[in-house]
Amino acid sequence: MCTRTHHRHSIFCILPPNILRKIAENGTPAQRSDALQTLATDQTFRAMRADARLAAARRPQGPSVLSAEGEKQRTIYDAGHQQNLPGVVVRAEGADPTGDEAVDEAYDGLGATFDFYWDVYQRNSIDDEGLPLLGTVHFGQNYDNAFWNGQQMVFGDGDGELFNRFTISLDVIGHELTHGVTQDEAQLVYFNQSGALNESVSDVFGSLVKQFKLGQTADQADWLIGAGLLTQAVQGVALRSMKAPGTAYDDPVLGKDPQPAHMRDYVYTWQDNGGVHINSGIPNHAFYLAATNIGGQAWEKAGRIWYDTLRDSALRPATGFSRFARLTVTIAGRLYGPNSPEQQAVHEAWGEVGIRTTLPTTTTKSGGAKTTDKTKGRGQ
Amino acid sequence: MRVQFATEGGVAFFPGLSKPTVIDSADLPEDDAAKLRQLIDSARFFDLPEASRALPKGAADYRQYTITVEDGKRRHTVRLTDPVENSDLQALIDFLRSYKAPGGPSSGSSEKPKKNVRAKGS
Repeated sequence: MCTRTHHRHSIFCILPPNILRKIAENGTPAQRSDALQTLATDQTFRAMRADARLAAARRPQGPSVLSAEGEKQRTIYDAGHQQNLPGVVVRAEGADPTGDEAVDEAYDGLGATFDFYWDVYQRNSIDDEGLPLLGTVHFGQNYDNAFWNGQQMVFGDGDGELFNRFTISLDVIGHELTHGVTQDEAQLVYFNQSGALNESVSDVFGSLVKQFKLGQTADQADWLIGAGLLTQAVQGVALRSMKAPGTAYDDPVLGKDPQPAHMRDYVYTWQDNGGVHINSGIPNHAFYLAATNIGGQAWEKAGRIWYDTLRDSALRPATGFSRFARLTVTIAGRLYGPNSPEQQAVHEAWGEVGIRTTLPTTTTKSGGAKTTDKTKGRGQ
Repeated sequence: MRVQFATEGGVAFFPGLSKPTVIDSADLPEDDAAKLRQLIDSARFFDLPEASRALPKGAADYRQYTITVEDGKRRHTVRLTDPVENSDLQALIDFLRSYKAPGGPSSGSSEKPKKNVRAKGS
């Protein structure tokens, strides 16, 4: 609501905030003053400022150097087995390997993830604005986990009995950083189905980071998340499998991999934020099916569909599986044409995990095309 | 003194690691019981707020720890989120995570006892 009465020119009342900011930055002293007044007093802008403060608070406290597009700015910290973040700087961008495996793997993994997003999707770091990439290693004592804290990556060393150091797996690094991308683009709420989508998106792009690094086609990829993370003593191969959810491990201590591959096996639970790491198996498997059906290198088409879906404004924070699935089908049609092989592959993939989506036209079993009103975009 | 401890979250959900731990200090060897009490005292457990922090926006795969201590008439529950900067709380969490109930499932990895669990009683 525009409520001020003391500004010099009424135009400032109707200008949108981005233009007001430009005036505040570049205008004459009088114009700047008016623009700043408008920005300061308007209720809606207060809310946006609060949001911007939040965004600014999210930005890491590093040197605020404006980097050229596509340039990495990595900093690796050592927490010295304490839990105070970020810790001590041990490797800055461009510095030589340190010989500390965790440090160097984090550095390389952050780089590989950056390169993936830049080379494949022209995304300039996590926020598409060159956000510096920060990672802390040697967090905690025998800390058998890694996480994204909203601003940076944090890696534990593992306990050496069940888990190795968490920098050992490139897809896990890609997974964690992708949480930052999801935070930037879609803000999928980390609970229940939207949370499982959040997790799945991280697994999808985490796996693609690895596949891209290795130059693998969809058929060549192992579609495992965190292979190499479990020690030899554990009966299991990875944290999760996108190819065969529920088969990654079956171990006396860890238990059995609880992931479903189909909606009929959806897990209703209060644990794990409503099963975000459990039910992610379903959209994970859909991606695997779509990518292998389409063939070739999974980041090119299937990955592109998922990436554009993540960035689409129709993807809301509380979006669930069905809506997400329908969106991927829509976007596949937008990218590759209605009823293209790519769109059909995505439609069928979701169908195989028990989620219905519709195509613009369908074919009857006898092979004849049954067209419907295309402008409505409905199936039979 | 009775302690209930649960860990949630992390990069993956492991059914075998998700069960809460319940410890009655009367069942512990004296050394461990003393150690547990000392850790709870050092952390000033009963003075702690119930929740350590609001969840940071966009954070994921962090762990959360819920600790409930019943000591005589006092009962208090604390919920902590990674990172746990307080080193006394870290030590308490490490102790609780390493605890293996007597006769409970042994670690699948090896026969050797997990470090920091059961001091050999005299």
